[in-house]
Amino acid sequence: MPIIFVSGLPFGGGERLARELAQKLGYDFVSREEIVAKANEAGIPVGKLEVAMIKKPAVQERMARLRERYLAVATAAICEKASEGKTVYYGRAGHLLLPGVSHVLRIKVVPEETQRLEAVMQRLKLGQEKAEKFLKEIDEDIRAWVHFVHGVDMDDARRYDFVVNLEKVGIENAATALCTFAQLPDFQPTPSSLAAMEERLLRARARIRLALDERLQDAELTVRSSEGAVTVTYMPRQAKLAPLIPDVLKDIPGCRGVRCTMANTNILWIEERFSPGSQAFKQVNELARRWDAAVELLRFIPAAVETQKAAQAVSVPAAPVMKRATGGIEDDVADKAIAEKDIAFQSTLEALVGGGKSGGGQTVSGNRDHLAAAISPTVPYSLVVVGDLFLGKGESARKRMTREITSFLGGQVKAPVITTGELGVKLRFGTKEISKLLGYAALVALCYGLLFTHQETVLDILGGPFHKGHPWAAVGMVAVMAPLVAALYGTVASLVLRLLKLE
Amino acid sequence: MPGILGDVFIQLTWQSALIVVLLGFIGGVLSGFTGSGGAFFMTPGMMNLGVSGVVAVGSNVAHRLGNNMMGAIKHAKLGNVDKKLAFYLMIPALVAVRFAVWINGLLFKGASGEEGAQVAGAAKAMSNFYISAVFVGVLAFVGIFILRDALGSGSKDDSGPSMKMANFLARMPLHPYVNFPVADVRVSLWLVLLVGFGIGYLDGTVAIGGFLGVPAMIYLFGVPTSVAPGTELFLAAFGGGLAALSYAYQGMVDLRLAFLLLLGSIIGVYVGTYGTKVVKEVMIRTVMGSVILLCVLSRMSAIPVYLRKLQWIAFDPGLDHWFEGLSTALLFVAGIGGAGLILALVFKANMERRKIHEALRVTKPADL
Repeated sequence: MPIIFVSGLPFGGGERLARELAQKLGYDFVSREEIVAKANEAGIPVGKLEVAMIKKPAVQERMARLRERYLAVATAAICEKASEGKTVYYGRAGHLLLPGVSHVLRIKVVPEETQRLEAVMQRLKLGQEKAEKFLKEIDEDIRAWVHFVHGVDMDDARRYDFVVNLEKVGIENAATALCTFAQLPDFQPTPSSLAAMEERLLRARARIRLALDERLQDAELTVRSSEGAVTVTYMPRQAKLAPLIPDVLKDIPGCRGVRCTMANTNILWIEERFSPGSQAFKQVNELARRWDAAVELLRFIPAAVETQKAAQAVSVPAAPVMKRATGGIEDDVADKAIAEKDIAFQSTLEALVGGGKSGGGQTVSGNRDHLAAAISPTVPYSLVVVGDLFLGKGESARKRMTREITSFLGGQVKAPVITTGELGVKLRFGTKEISKLLGYAALVALCYGLLFTHQETVLDILGGPFHKGHPWAAVGMVAVMAPLVAALYGTVASLVLRLLKLE
Repeated sequence: MPGILGDVFIQLTWQSALIVVLLGFIGGVLSGFTGSGGAFFMTPGMMNLGVSGVVAVGSNVAHRLGNNMMGAIKHAKLGNVDKKLAFYLMIPALVAVRFAVWINGLLFKGASGEEGAQVAGAAKAMSNFYISAVFVGVLAFVGIFILRDALGSGSKDDSGPSMKMANFLARMPLHPYVNFPVADVRVSLWLVLLVGFGIGYLDGTVAIGGFLGVPAMIYLFGVPTSVAPGTELFLAAFGGGLAALSYAYQGMVDLRLAFLLLLGSIIGVYVGTYGTKVVKEVMIRTVMGSVILLCVLSRMSAIPVYLRKLQWIAFDPGLDHWFEGLSTALLFVAGIGGAGLILALVFKANMERRKIHEALRVTKPADL
């Protein structure tokens, strides 16, 4: 059965709906208060974090670390609760806690505003004007909090599976309808979704363990996991702490191993089929070496068009593709293909580990929204590289669809998004680049040569007798020459660094 | 060193040209390492070479013109610029830049020597004194603040003095307020106008507007740390641009100095930026605070000479040489010491990193 997340604003009836639904389904009810209590127990001052976030923190790095820890505590608590039994969670943004896990039902509750206002006036003993102001401020704060913690807009409808408008529907009827909705096959656990949840739990436990270790409390660490192996990325300036990491994580349940990668930044590489012998691997690896970056692999298996159409036919937002357990020849063939891709994925990951550049990896299947949801908005990527996708399509269709998804991701993530083809062009240093370097260097030499062989003339224009009659000539000269020489010389310096593989 | 065109521009020799390139390199290293403009080192460095303060400022802003524009475009592409905030700050900043350049020009009037050597000497001394006084006043405060912050950063208390100021300002009814969508902040218009004027004034006077702009945006407005430098650079591309062109109009830009600074600074910025990736933040702030305070001491050592030339104090002119020597020595201790320390830290961190990198290559899942 799915994990059900009911998200709503305070006094809006969401909690009552969640309790009613839990009762009807015989599920356990979990509220945000329980998560906050667990976070406080783990040393995360959630209240202080909320206040500081609203007041725009000056020490953002420390706040970001606390945010990661809060998310880890919340994720671990939900996953542990869900593994014990069936769960309905009510909070502000629980629906954002388990991206990539398909057996979740995410419900948004739109409150009945008049009743909400009356509830506030009654419970807090406020006049109408003050109650309205209170609700407006608290809603703004919650939106800011969700944006701070998850990096997304809490009102984005694409992140929900069902919206209940309490202006129209009563709580009782809504709960009854949701009971039926929760039975749909789209929200049931599959081996892959359960494995994804296990990965989330493992990652969260590793994050908490690292946070609780006093020696590592101030370290900037990025934690990833793939098939039970935890990858921790740390900054070069914290290199002395690195040997502690495997020791701290050694006995976490479900952890098959720990990889430590030192990196200044992160590169996300998306492919449908990875291969350590491919040209794209060489290019990404080369860039990672130059930038001192960790490479995170994201294997994206696009959903079959038929599955999406079928999903749309029942008017339910498409869920990540589930592997059907119907048996038969076709499934066996598909399983074999997936297994081969898994081996290639693992060997690519191992190749990155061998080079000390692994940032971990994950697999996601579904449509482009599922792909975007799998990219953590809280990880500071410097670049997203999109490789070959839609391998089952013809070349033209593949190129078009890859271009479309690259453009889509460009609007979803903060980092620049480029294709492996574009990356190859940027890394190449051939005849064209050498000609450009020589040409620009000659122009720079010409500018400097002219200036220093004609100093008297130039200074006359800039501040001498000529300047007295024509001050605008000096303005023109500075306006043209200063940016021009900076651009030319900057390009030369950049090309030289590229040539030396240092940029 | 004898000047040309009166005392406005200096005569460049190979030696002085190389020193200016070195000033650019050290300024670039400090700039890339600390995220500030580097003018706090380059401007006094040129003044110690005999360049008039106002020409040193004009040449410095001209050398940054291209870099600021390219940096602003890069930040804008990455979405790190709040253009609305930059626009609101720009209006008072441009007014203040014109005001600052006008004051500098007024004080420097007569330095060309047309009204006699004594008038020229007094005008130059007055201008240098004014620039040095602003430099010392602002940077002494900034240097002490940064050093205090760095040395006290072991404390886990989130509410530093700057947040108290932000909270205090947030409580004051300073209507009207303006929303800035990219930075996601709401700030009093009056506060924005005041800060914009301050940035423009400092940019136009000593080319150190960033020392006010970035901290003010972060601590007073609550702008995220990723957006503040981008917005400041966007503002500097216009404010600094106007300052450079205004100084050029008044005949106070030496393009030779600008070109020589550029030659060293672009390479220096790369080295300094690399340093931030391998050196701890507290060390960055300690180096920055120390270098700024040494630059302040250097400038303070030169002030008595200007005061004597203005006949506000009296002492033996033979002592000028000692004051100027002390000023130059302190500046080079600051610059070479700071940049040398950064290079040493980068080298040391690189060596340590290589060792650990090699050691970690053998860590695989099967090991545990």
